[in-house]
Amino acid sequence: MQRIVVPGERLEEKPVHLENTIIHENNTYSTVMGIYDNEKRNLVPLEGIWYPRHGDEVIGVVEEEKLNVFTVNLHSTYKGIILVKYSEGDIAPGDIIEASVKELDKTKTVVLVRPRKLSGGKILAVKPTKIPRILGKGDSMITQLTEGTKTFIKIGMNGVLWMRGGNLDLATKVILRIEEEPHKTGITERIKTMLEKSV
Amino acid sequence: MSEKPELIINGKRNDGRSSGDLRPIRIESNVIKNASGSAYIEWGKNKIIAAVYGPREALPKHTADPEKAVIKCRYSMAPFSSLEEHGRSGPNRRAIEISKVTKEVFENVVMLQDFPGSEINIYIEVLQSDGGTRAAGITAAAVAMASSGIPMTDLPYAVSAGKVGNEVILDLDKLEDNYSDADMPMAIAPIQNKILLLQMDGTLSREEIKRAVSMILKAGETISKLQVAALKKPYEEISERYAKE
Repeated sequence: MQRIVVPGERLEEKPVHLENTIIHENNTYSTVMGIYDNEKRNLVPLEGIWYPRHGDEVIGVVEEEKLNVFTVNLHSTYKGIILVKYSEGDIAPGDIIEASVKELDKTKTVVLVRPRKLSGGKILAVKPTKIPRILGKGDSMITQLTEGTKTFIKIGMNGVLWMRGGNLDLATKVILRIEEEPHKTGITERIKTMLEKSV
Repeated sequence: MSEKPELIINGKRNDGRSSGDLRPIRIESNVIKNASGSAYIEWGKNKIIAAVYGPREALPKHTADPEKAVIKCRYSMAPFSSLEEHGRSGPNRRAIEISKVTKEVFENVVMLQDFPGSEINIYIEVLQSDGGTRAAGITAAAVAMASSGIPMTDLPYAVSAGKVGNEVILDLDKLEDNYSDADMPMAIAPIQNKILLLQMDGTLSREEIKRAVSMILKAGETISKLQVAALKKPYEEISERYAKE
């Protein structure tokens, strides 16, 4: 059964190694607000911070060029950097870019590679914990959204979305709705109805 | 100071409570949209807003710790919050002290090692005060911290106990705070069973401290329940709203 848990709430009366939990005196406790499924042993955070992982695709804004390094604002705790030699010379401060996470260095700076410039469009920041929800199972949600609004959407795992063309207002509305909704099944159906009504 | 008023008459305190009673508490979470996490608490006549921002880049740079995040806390009382003068010329000695002890409470429960080089800001604004604002502030800030999604090992709460004559009392209000023989605010991490804050004004004997601590731990169960309910409420409300559609 699924239930909402808060930091310091006991999940299991035995040690279970899960993300966002701690083990104290052979009991497992949550460290975040989240939804815990005790049958699947799965804790999904409701609020949270993006932890960079190797290979994550992110979207950010190039801030400045200093000492052969571009710094990138990723709208998160962590700052991104791109070495100028990897940038292939086509990005400049102020550009919106998409890039991949190469590694997290000692000071927790995100080293980015393969930057691609995104021209035009607009960016939207959402809670990073809702990104899997916006993608949907097997990308079903984002496919449905793209078909319904004819908007081209790119998703950064850091919680930043880039959108261009089509019905931008509707796309924004739907994404904010997905962000707001709790973790309940049947959201794909509800969004489908919402899209159909708006057309 | 004026003459000491009678604080306990016929076993009842000036507001009708008995020695082990808490004042009525109401907590709300997610009250400020732009903050990472926030909470509003009404504890008796105290009204306090707490907000948490971050983790974000620590500025000025020299305050950053490359090993872990740093917590910066600002407790402040609004100029209109009480009968005495507050907040007309920046933080005073008392506000700096409370900011420091609050910061230390959260350094023990927040998983700071996950965010090196960054800072987490806690702002506690007292809108109306009636004694025990540091305890209420810590309780509200814990809810704000949890609602921000910053990982914590525990959900701390704080409450004070004290002494009037020979009677140990819980949760002192302004009048009792000013005229009591002792006042002891405490912050507790309930799961880890740790004391995160312990201050004392006046004197208490060993037995009286034991009695005060047991009163605080008992009251803590109530406070913890209110904190958890406040954290879950916004999500339950959304669930209900969409269930109707």
